[in-house]
Amino acid sequence: MSMNTIHTQLDVIANIRGEVVGRPVPTGENLFLAWGYPTAIVLFLEFVALEVWHEFWCQWLWLGIPLIGVPLMMYFLNEDYERTGRRTLDQNVILMMWVFVGFVSCLGGVTMGVANVFSMLYCTFQGVLVGMGCFLTGVILHFRPKTVCGIVGTALSFLSLFFQGDQWPWQLLIVSVVTVITLIIPGHLFRRYVKNYKNNEL
Amino acid sequence: MSTFKFPVINPLLHNELRLKIMVALDSLESADFMYLCQITDSTRGNLSVQITTLKDAGYLEVSKTGLGRFARTVCRVTRKGSEALRTYEQGLRRLFEQRVPDSNEVIQKIG
Repeated sequence: MSMNTIHTQLDVIANIRGEVVGRPVPTGENLFLAWGYPTAIVLFLEFVALEVWHEFWCQWLWLGIPLIGVPLMMYFLNEDYERTGRRTLDQNVILMMWVFVGFVSCLGGVTMGVANVFSMLYCTFQGVLVGMGCFLTGVILHFRPKTVCGIVGTALSFLSLFFQGDQWPWQLLIVSVVTVITLIIPGHLFRRYVKNYKNNEL
Repeated sequence: MSTFKFPVINPLLHNELRLKIMVALDSLESADFMYLCQITDSTRGNLSVQITTLKDAGYLEVSKTGLGRFARTVCRVTRKGSEALRTYEQGLRRLFEQRVPDSNEVIQKIG
């Protein structure tokens, strides 16, 4: 094999790798909003129903989060794939991390339901989990607003520890605010960032 | 005298288009047919043939999603493929570092 052939083959490897990894196209701008809005709205409704109306049927509203979030997520994931034609390793790590966050949140809720107990720490736990997910997503995507929002959200979720006993519905309001900070605000900022990126690319 | 052992170069990956496909997919989680067409700058027919060759060798996993006109071919590299690519690249680098003279260079030197 000649040196020219070796050169050519190594060039091919370097060029393709640079083309694929060197220019990451930001995607998934709608996914955070797809989960953020249903979660924030359901948490707020839960708070109002428990604290103001004293209605306990509202526990069924929890089901609204996965019922709205999962189809929206599938739709936007499919749309992203159609647009870019690929899924990078970073995107896969982020997706798997959020699937795990969702799974752990559900598992906590279901376990409490089966055991017929309610832990006052559950809301704090959920807020910290979402805040950590947001922080790590920001770090992986190199998107600073998301990292900052993740830190603020995680710190804020510990506020819910101050509301114990009869005051526990206020924990729901705090987690609702945490959801706005960790998912909705950075979601909109990321959306704008992706839009600008696309305009510049054109 | 140090003896240089020539690395075995995988002939399957020595084809430029097949190498492009493998490198692109190795850097990604998965990619669809159209994206590979664009990144490798190849025709659909040629790409299809090379993907089938790599799939038969166990280097790629090919799956189809959607129905009819909306069908999409999604490819991802297998562990075997990833290892083969790594070995191939290491082999090339070893040859490059040793600066093995090719036949033309030898002829020029003798001449």
